[in-house]
Amino acid sequence: MLEFRNVSFSFAGRRGTVEVLHNVSFACKEDEIVAVIGPSGCGKSTLLSLAVGLRQPSGGEVLVDGRPAKGADRRLGMLFQQTTLLPWRSVVENVELGLEIRGEPKAARRRRAMELITQYGLAGFERKFPHALSGGMQKRTALAQTLAAEPTVLLLDEPFAALDAQTRVVIENDVVNICRSGKRTMLLVTHDIAEAISMADRVVVLSRRPATVKEIYEIPLSREAKSVGDVPGMPGFTQYFNRIWHALDISVAGADAAA
Amino acid sequence: MTARLSHRFVVIAGRLAVLVVILIGTELGVRYGVMSALLTQLSSGSFLTDSGITIFETLLGLFCGSLLGMTVGLVLPQLRFVSNVFEPFLMVLNGIPVIVIAPLFILWLGLGILSKIGISVYIVFFAMFIPVYTGSLRLDTTLVDALHVMGATRLQTFWKVIVPSSLPSVYTGLKIGSGLALIGAVIGEFVASRSGLGHMILYASGTLDTPTLYLGIITLAAFAAVLSFTIDALGPVLVPWRFSDEK
Repeated sequence: MLEFRNVSFSFAGRRGTVEVLHNVSFACKEDEIVAVIGPSGCGKSTLLSLAVGLRQPSGGEVLVDGRPAKGADRRLGMLFQQTTLLPWRSVVENVELGLEIRGEPKAARRRRAMELITQYGLAGFERKFPHALSGGMQKRTALAQTLAAEPTVLLLDEPFAALDAQTRVVIENDVVNICRSGKRTMLLVTHDIAEAISMADRVVVLSRRPATVKEIYEIPLSREAKSVGDVPGMPGFTQYFNRIWHALDISVAGADAAA
Repeated sequence: MTARLSHRFVVIAGRLAVLVVILIGTELGVRYGVMSALLTQLSSGSFLTDSGITIFETLLGLFCGSLLGMTVGLVLPQLRFVSNVFEPFLMVLNGIPVIVIAPLFILWLGLGILSKIGISVYIVFFAMFIPVYTGSLRLDTTLVDALHVMGATRLQTFWKVIVPSSLPSVYTGLKIGSGLALIGAVIGEFVASRSGLGHMILYASGTLDTPTLYLGIITLAAFAAVLSFTIDALGPVLVPWRFSDEK
């Protein structure tokens, strides 16, 4: 379980203090997928960097299983938007990186990495360098790398944005299954409303900067659907889409910016 | 694949043709003088010693200068304060022409090979330091963040991300440095020395001994070529991921 409790974040900008997040509170329960969506630049990704200790909140606290998240935390695993595979390491060496950092013996971590490689359809590619793989396979490798450390909370920072539409649905579906079958908590940051509805049990809509929690929607579609790809065709999808779209208030923001 | 192979073949054939033209040209130019100079030098024994000394100075200068440049280039960006203080001094030092620094090394380290190695180290250092230093300032911070999230310590991040990501710059540094190492050694020998190919060439020039002069130049060129090919061959070892282009 991951909980944000009255979390605020601000930084010193050129023209005084910039407040990015203001009193943000919500929780992701065990076995629950929560999506955070908000206007561009509202600070959604900042939430994740606060959770993993890349930044410190200026107010409030982030709790993992009731205890404050203290910097790098074994219980947390993160999947980034950009590729974070080390280009000089082969697929298997990348997958075992997290275990290597923890000091696991070589034979054990290699065995674990090979299991994940087989599981995620990367068998036969374990000796290749990341750049020799397709975008989808790179993302799978990154996913295997994150899961190798067996985190209980998965943080996803728009990780599917760069994938083509078909590969994207396949990997989204994998991630949902991984989360559901392993009783994991997942927090997905995205700017894609359809993705949020298709994957998440709850969608948290943030306001423009300084971001506060504007609305939280309970969405049963993802749990009912057989696969992520089916969700947009389900009754109710369009209503949720429209409600979230209006909550985001993007058209007004665009008109303001243009004026 | 066949097109690439035949292209490679044509390139190699072209290079060989140029080499033959150069060899025939120089041979005609000195009318077998170089060969006789080689024979005289070989029998008198100083040519082999001179070559050996220059090669030794170059290799040691390249090795030590590269190691030093790489170490400073990698560690300096980690220490922001030290880096901010020293950067302008290093850049000014790099701007001073090596030819005016060379006499200083002779004064400090004497007429022997030590001063030549010193000069070589000095210019190789910058050839390595500058690409490695500027490269590590452009480091992909997402990779550092990712390792932090996995729980890596600063030292682990240094060895697992910062050092390997500098290897393409190290390769660049070696390529530039290998040429400069030889230049450094020969400049040192030109300024003041008792042996080495630079000394041989200078002496031959002073005694109007053109064949020995050519012999020196050809030997230096041959050594430079061998060195350059060796460094090129190091590429796939040093940065294997840049050389595997299979999809």
